[in-house]
Amino acid sequence: MLKRIVALAALIILVPALAQAEIGRIKKSKGTATVERAGAAMAADSGLALEQNDILVTGPDGRISVTFIDNSRFSAGPNSRVNLEEFTFNPTTHEGGFVTKLEKGSLAVISGQIAKQSPDAMQIRTPTSILGVRGTRFVVEAGQ
Amino acid sequence: MIRKILVCLVLAGLAGACAPQDRVLLLPGEDGTAVGAIAVLGKAGRTVSVIDTAYTEAMVSGETIASKPTDAETVRRKDGDLLDALPKAPSSYVLYFTEGTTTLVPASEAALQTLLKDAAERAGADVQVTGHTDTVGPQASNDALSLKRAEAIREMLIGRGLAPELVRAVGRGERELLDQTEDGVSNARNRRVEVTVR
Repeated sequence: MLKRIVALAALIILVPALAQAEIGRIKKSKGTATVERAGAAMAADSGLALEQNDILVTGPDGRISVTFIDNSRFSAGPNSRVNLEEFTFNPTTHEGGFVTKLEKGSLAVISGQIAKQSPDAMQIRTPTSILGVRGTRFVVEAGQ
Repeated sequence: MIRKILVCLVLAGLAGACAPQDRVLLLPGEDGTAVGAIAVLGKAGRTVSVIDTAYTEAMVSGETIASKPTDAETVRRKDGDLLDALPKAPSSYVLYFTEGTTTLVPASEAALQTLLKDAAERAGADVQVTGHTDTVGPQASNDALSLKRAEAIREMLIGRGLAPELVRAVGRGERELLDQTEDGVSNARNRRVEVTVR
């Protein structure tokens, strides 16, 4: 009985983690490419569903390409850390917020429905600067 | 490192001489679409500067910006690999149904076949089904109606072989009309389902 209660409690704790919303998917990657989630690293394989707060990490030969559910697209270059810090999106109204922290490295971006709906709702932050995205295709390389 | 600190001390009078500089490159929109803009923001989201000319490369450090023009050839050389790795643009397919059913009109059967092939061939593909209504009825009920239609079509696509976890249903109500009409106008072209393959 006690075992069952413990199992049930574990399930209740686990459910919110499983219900974490998908914000996009990895389309392709190459070289050393991982996704950090809650401190654990997993391979950035094609088709992996991403969540808010995931961090895309690439090594010297690595690349990661992602399409988000608002049709935004990212390409992270080698030696990068891209923290998907905030992603909220209402697919009915297209309102939302999308804040990415480019901790290091380079990122090519094509913005999507969040940026189209509200100027500066999509932002790229580096350790030194804050960029508001008003569309559409650009590259950011974090200084070091 | 020590040398860098010394240089920084010498240049301390010059603002931003030692802070890391980010490089921001603004490009024309994809496939010849209009250029957008990047705003450099200060505290509390204040706009410090706006980069809005295609092929501008700006060095940005906090609120300090130095811009210069660049060209397609230089971009290709410096950032070609990064840009080439961007995922393929999502494709959109519009489907029409016999009114009140999930039976495709014959003309939409070909579009369905094409989108299923697209989803099967694209690396890491996911699919979104978006319902749209015309302007008959209030917005809230059109939101619900368009979602219900999208959910029915999602089931139909799963029946045609798409994995359930890859397909999401969304209702957009009357916000994205194909034919711009007044409120309260029945319009068959506006009552549609759009399938996006990403």
